[in-house]
Amino acid sequence: MDALKDGVRVEIEPVSIFLRACVVLLTLATAAIHASLGGLLFTLNGVVYVGLAVAMVLPGPFARYRWLVRVALHGFAAATIGGWLAFGARFPLAYIDKGIEVTLIAFLAIELWLFDGGPRGIVRDLRELGAAVGARLPGQAAR
Amino acid sequence: MTGHGAPRAAGLALVLLLLVACSTAGSAGPPPTVPPGGALIVAADLAFSPRAAAVAAGTPFGLVFENRDGAPHNVTILDGKGVELFVGEVFGGPGWRTYAVPALAAGQLTFRCDVHPTMTGTLVAR
Repeated sequence: MDALKDGVRVEIEPVSIFLRACVVLLTLATAAIHASLGGLLFTLNGVVYVGLAVAMVLPGPFARYRWLVRVALHGFAAATIGGWLAFGARFPLAYIDKGIEVTLIAFLAIELWLFDGGPRGIVRDLRELGAAVGARLPGQAAR
Repeated sequence: MTGHGAPRAAGLALVLLLLVACSTAGSAGPPPTVPPGGALIVAADLAFSPRAAAVAAGTPFGLVFENRDGAPHNVTILDGKGVELFVGEVFGGPGWRTYAVPALAAGQLTFRCDVHPTMTGTLVAR
Protein backbone atom coordinates (compact mmCIF):
# COMPACT_ATOMS: atom_id res chain seq x y z
CA MET A 1 0.00 0.00 0.00
CA ASP A 2 2.89 2.32 0.74
CA ALA A 3 4.14 1.97 -2.79
CA LEU A 4 0.66 2.72 -4.11
CA LYS A 5 0.38 5.77 -1.83
CA ASP A 6 3.75 6.96 -3.05
CA GLY A 7 2.70 6.34 -6.63
CA VAL A 8 -0.47 8.38 -6.25
CA ARG A 9 1.45 11.17 -4.52
CA VAL A 10 3.98 11.33 -7.34
CA GLU A 11 1.27 11.25 -10.02
CA ILE A 12 -0.33 14.49 -8.83
CA GLU A 13 2.88 16.54 -8.75
CA PRO A 14 3.14 19.23 -11.50
CA VAL A 15 6.08 17.55 -13.25
CA SER A 16 4.19 14.26 -13.24
CA ILE A 17 1.07 15.91 -14.67
CA PHE A 18 3.20 17.47 -17.42
CA LEU A 19 4.79 14.12 -18.19
CA ARG A 20 1.44 12.35 -18.29
CA ALA A 21 -0.08 15.05 -20.51
CA CYS A 22 2.85 14.70 -22.93
CA VAL A 23 2.51 10.92 -23.00
CA VAL A 24 -1.23 11.09 -23.66
CA LEU A 25 -0.94 13.80 -26.33
CA LEU A 26 1.89 12.00 -28.13
CA THR A 27 -0.06 8.74 -27.99
CA LEU A 28 -3.18 10.39 -29.42
CA ALA A 29 -1.09 12.12 -32.10
CA THR A 30 0.43 8.85 -33.36
CA ALA A 31 -3.03 7.21 -33.10
CA ALA A 32 -4.48 9.92 -35.35
CA ILE A 33 -1.66 9.55 -37.87
CA HIS A 34 -2.06 5.77 -38.03
CA ALA A 35 -5.84 6.02 -38.33
CA SER A 36 -5.46 8.53 -41.19
CA LEU A 37 -3.48 5.98 -43.23
CA GLY A 38 -6.52 3.74 -43.71
CA GLY A 39 -6.53 -0.04 -43.94
CA LEU A 40 -7.24 -2.58 -41.19
CA LEU A 41 -3.72 -2.79 -39.74
CA PHE A 42 -3.24 0.97 -39.37
CA THR A 43 -6.77 1.41 -37.99
CA LEU A 44 -6.21 -1.33 -35.40
CA ASN A 45 -2.90 0.29 -34.48
CA GLY A 46 -4.70 3.59 -33.92
CA VAL A 47 -7.41 1.93 -31.83
CA VAL A 48 -4.82 0.25 -29.58
CA TYR A 49 -3.00 3.56 -29.11
CA VAL A 50 -6.27 5.31 -28.15
CA GLY A 51 -7.10 2.50 -25.70
CA LEU A 52 -3.69 2.80 -24.07
CA ALA A 53 -3.98 6.61 -23.92
CA VAL A 54 -7.29 6.25 -22.08
CA ALA A 55 -5.77 3.64 -19.75
CA MET A 56 -3.00 6.10 -18.91
CA VAL A 57 -5.49 8.48 -17.28
CA LEU A 58 -8.14 6.14 -15.85
CA PRO A 59 -8.61 7.05 -12.17
CA GLY A 60 -9.41 5.03 -9.07
CA PRO A 61 -8.51 1.34 -8.84
CA PHE A 62 -7.10 1.36 -12.38
CA ALA A 63 -4.21 3.60 -11.23
CA ARG A 64 -2.81 0.56 -9.38
CA TYR A 65 -2.00 -1.03 -12.74
CA ARG A 66 -0.68 2.09 -14.45
CA TRP A 67 2.80 0.55 -14.53
CA LEU A 68 1.43 -2.27 -16.67
CA VAL A 69 -0.11 0.24 -19.11
CA ARG A 70 3.22 2.08 -19.29
CA VAL A 71 5.05 -1.14 -20.09
CA ALA A 72 2.43 -2.10 -22.68
CA LEU A 73 2.54 1.32 -24.34
CA HIS A 74 6.34 1.28 -24.31
CA GLY A 75 6.39 -2.15 -25.92
CA PHE A 76 3.68 -1.32 -28.44
CA ALA A 77 5.41 1.87 -29.60
CA ALA A 78 8.73 0.00 -29.89
CA ALA A 79 7.04 -2.81 -31.85
CA THR A 80 5.40 -0.27 -34.17
CA ILE A 81 8.77 1.36 -34.87
CA GLY A 82 10.30 -2.07 -35.43
CA GLY A 83 7.52 -3.00 -37.85
CA TRP A 84 8.06 0.23 -39.79
CA LEU A 85 11.83 -0.31 -39.94
CA ALA A 86 11.26 -3.81 -41.31
CA PHE A 87 8.32 -3.27 -43.67
CA GLY A 88 7.20 0.37 -43.63
CA ALA A 89 7.20 2.92 -46.42
CA ARG A 90 9.54 5.90 -46.16
CA PHE A 91 7.69 9.17 -46.59
CA PRO A 92 7.57 12.45 -44.63
CA LEU A 93 4.52 11.65 -42.48
CA ALA A 94 6.08 8.32 -41.51
CA TYR A 95 9.26 10.04 -40.32
CA ILE A 96 7.21 12.57 -38.33
CA ASP A 97 5.27 9.70 -36.75
CA LYS A 98 8.42 7.80 -35.83
CA GLY A 99 9.77 10.98 -34.23
CA ILE A 100 6.58 11.19 -32.16
CA GLU A 101 6.90 7.53 -31.13
CA VAL A 102 10.57 7.86 -30.17
CA THR A 103 9.69 10.91 -28.05
CA LEU A 104 6.80 8.96 -26.52
CA ILE A 105 9.15 6.12 -25.58
CA ALA A 106 11.54 8.63 -23.99
CA PHE A 107 8.76 10.18 -21.89
CA LEU A 108 7.52 6.72 -20.91
CA ALA A 109 11.05 5.74 -19.86
CA ILE A 110 11.16 8.78 -17.57
CA GLU A 111 7.79 7.79 -16.10
CA LEU A 112 8.98 4.20 -15.63
CA TRP A 113 11.99 5.42 -13.68
CA LEU A 114 10.02 8.01 -11.73
CA PHE A 115 6.97 5.94 -10.76
CA ASP A 116 8.02 2.31 -11.08
CA GLY A 117 11.67 2.24 -10.05
CA GLY A 118 13.01 1.43 -13.51
CA PRO A 119 13.57 -2.09 -14.86
CA ARG A 120 14.11 -3.58 -11.38
CA GLY A 121 10.82 -2.15 -10.18
CA ILE A 122 9.03 -3.46 -13.26
CA VAL A 123 10.46 -6.95 -12.74
CA ARG A 124 9.37 -6.82 -9.09
CA ASP A 125 5.87 -5.68 -10.07
CA LEU A 126 5.64 -8.39 -12.72
CA ARG A 127 6.63 -11.03 -10.16
CA GLU A 128 4.07 -9.73 -7.69
CA LEU A 129 1.39 -9.72 -10.37
CA GLY A 130 2.33 -13.23 -11.44
CA ALA A 131 2.19 -14.43 -7.82
CA ALA A 132 -1.18 -12.73 -7.28
CA VAL A 133 -2.64 -14.25 -10.46
CA GLY A 134 -1.18 -17.66 -9.57
CA ALA A 135 -2.72 -17.52 -6.11
CA ARG A 136 -6.17 -16.94 -7.64
CA LEU A 137 -6.00 -19.94 -9.96
CA PRO A 138 -8.53 -22.65 -8.91
CA GLY A 139 -5.86 -25.25 -8.20
CA GLN A 140 -3.83 -22.88 -6.10
CA ALA A 141 -6.82 -21.57 -4.13
CA ALA A 142 -7.75 -25.12 -3.00
CA ARG A 143 -4.33 -25.68 -1.37
CA MET B 1 7.57 49.30 -32.13
CA THR B 2 9.21 46.20 -30.76
CA GLY B 3 5.83 45.05 -29.48
CA HIS B 4 4.75 44.48 -33.08
CA GLY B 5 7.53 41.95 -33.64
CA ALA B 6 5.66 38.89 -32.44
CA PRO B 7 2.47 39.46 -34.52
CA ARG B 8 4.59 40.22 -37.60
CA ALA B 9 6.61 37.05 -37.09
CA ALA B 10 3.40 35.07 -36.65
CA GLY B 11 1.99 36.63 -39.82
CA LEU B 12 5.14 35.80 -41.74
CA ALA B 13 5.03 32.22 -40.45
CA LEU B 14 1.40 31.96 -41.56
CA VAL B 15 2.25 33.25 -45.05
CA LEU B 16 5.14 30.78 -45.29
CA LEU B 17 2.84 27.96 -44.22
CA LEU B 18 0.30 28.95 -46.88
CA LEU B 19 3.06 29.06 -49.50
CA VAL B 20 4.22 25.59 -48.52
CA ALA B 21 0.63 24.34 -48.57
CA CYS B 22 0.04 25.82 -52.02
CA SER B 23 3.28 24.41 -53.38
CA THR B 24 2.38 20.88 -52.27
CA ALA B 25 -1.15 21.24 -53.63
CA GLY B 26 0.16 21.96 -57.12
CA SER B 27 -1.23 18.67 -58.37
CA ALA B 28 -4.82 19.55 -57.56
CA GLY B 29 -7.46 19.51 -60.28
CA PRO B 30 -8.02 16.95 -63.01
CA PRO B 31 -5.01 14.79 -63.91
CA PRO B 32 -3.27 15.49 -67.23
CA THR B 33 -3.77 13.37 -70.31
CA VAL B 34 -1.74 10.18 -70.38
CA PRO B 35 1.49 10.71 -72.33
CA PRO B 36 2.20 8.39 -75.31
CA GLY B 37 3.52 5.06 -74.12
CA GLY B 38 2.49 5.84 -70.56
CA ALA B 39 -0.43 4.82 -68.37
CA LEU B 40 -2.94 6.14 -65.87
CA ILE B 41 -3.32 4.39 -62.52
CA VAL B 42 -5.90 5.50 -59.95
CA ALA B 43 -5.94 4.68 -56.23
CA ALA B 44 -9.42 4.76 -54.68
CA ASP B 45 -10.83 3.01 -51.60
CA LEU B 46 -7.45 1.38 -50.93
CA ALA B 47 -7.33 -0.32 -54.34
CA PHE B 48 -5.73 0.37 -57.70
CA SER B 49 -7.76 0.88 -60.84
CA PRO B 50 -7.13 -0.55 -63.32
CA ARG B 51 -5.47 -3.58 -61.75
CA ALA B 52 -3.57 -4.16 -65.01
CA ALA B 53 -1.93 -1.56 -67.26
CA ALA B 54 0.29 -1.63 -70.34
CA VAL B 55 3.24 0.66 -71.11
CA ALA B 56 5.88 0.91 -73.83
CA ALA B 57 9.00 -1.18 -73.26
CA GLY B 58 12.53 0.08 -73.83
CA THR B 59 11.75 3.78 -73.51
CA PRO B 60 11.15 6.14 -70.58
CA PHE B 61 7.50 6.99 -70.06
CA GLY B 62 5.19 9.08 -67.94
CA LEU B 63 3.02 7.26 -65.44
CA VAL B 64 0.11 9.39 -64.28
CA PHE B 65 -0.92 8.37 -60.77
CA GLU B 66 -4.10 9.82 -59.31
CA ASN B 67 -4.72 9.34 -55.60
CA ARG B 68 -8.41 9.77 -54.80
CA ASP B 69 -8.04 8.60 -51.18
CA GLY B 70 -7.22 10.82 -48.24
CA ALA B 71 -4.64 8.23 -47.25
CA PRO B 72 -1.13 8.48 -48.73
CA HIS B 73 -0.29 6.16 -51.62
CA ASN B 74 2.39 5.68 -54.26
CA VAL B 75 3.26 3.33 -57.10
CA THR B 76 6.35 1.14 -56.90
CA ILE B 77 7.18 -1.06 -59.90
CA LEU B 78 8.84 -4.42 -59.28
CA ASP B 79 10.19 -7.11 -61.56
CA GLY B 80 9.27 -10.78 -61.33
CA LYS B 81 11.84 -11.34 -58.55
CA GLY B 82 10.49 -8.52 -56.42
CA VAL B 83 13.35 -6.12 -57.21
CA GLU B 84 12.23 -2.49 -57.17
CA LEU B 85 12.66 -0.92 -60.61
CA PHE B 86 10.97 2.35 -59.81
CA VAL B 87 9.70 3.93 -56.58
CA GLY B 88 7.16 6.74 -56.94
CA GLU B 89 6.72 9.53 -54.42
CA VAL B 90 4.24 8.85 -51.62
CA PHE B 91 1.58 11.56 -51.33
CA GLY B 92 -1.82 12.04 -49.75
CA GLY B 93 -4.89 12.60 -51.85
CA PRO B 94 -6.83 13.83 -53.50
CA GLY B 95 -4.14 14.71 -56.00
CA TRP B 96 -1.98 13.33 -58.76
CA ARG B 97 1.61 13.07 -59.89
CA THR B 98 3.20 12.26 -63.21
CA TYR B 99 6.04 9.90 -62.42
CA ALA B 100 8.97 9.88 -64.86
CA VAL B 101 9.66 6.16 -65.13
CA PRO B 102 12.92 4.96 -66.74
CA ALA B 103 12.87 2.50 -69.61
CA LEU B 104 11.69 -0.98 -68.67
CA ALA B 105 12.53 -4.26 -70.37
CA ALA B 106 9.63 -6.02 -72.04
CA GLY B 107 7.76 -8.37 -69.76
CA GLN B 108 5.18 -8.65 -67.04
CA LEU B 109 5.86 -6.59 -63.93
CA THR B 110 3.93 -5.86 -60.77
CA PHE B 111 3.19 -2.58 -59.04
CA ARG B 112 2.18 -1.93 -55.47
CA CYS B 113 1.63 0.81 -52.91
CA ASP B 114 4.48 0.90 -50.38
CA VAL B 115 2.20 2.21 -47.62
CA HIS B 116 -0.47 -0.44 -48.25
CA PRO B 117 1.32 -3.52 -49.69
CA THR B 118 -2.03 -5.27 -50.22
CA MET B 119 -2.69 -2.76 -53.03
CA THR B 120 -1.14 -4.42 -56.06
CA GLY B 121 -1.52 -4.58 -59.83
CA THR B 122 0.13 -5.87 -62.99
CA LEU B 123 2.10 -3.76 -65.43
CA VAL B 124 2.92 -5.15 -68.87
CA ALA B 125 5.80 -3.54 -70.76
CA ARG B 126 5.66 -4.31 -74.50
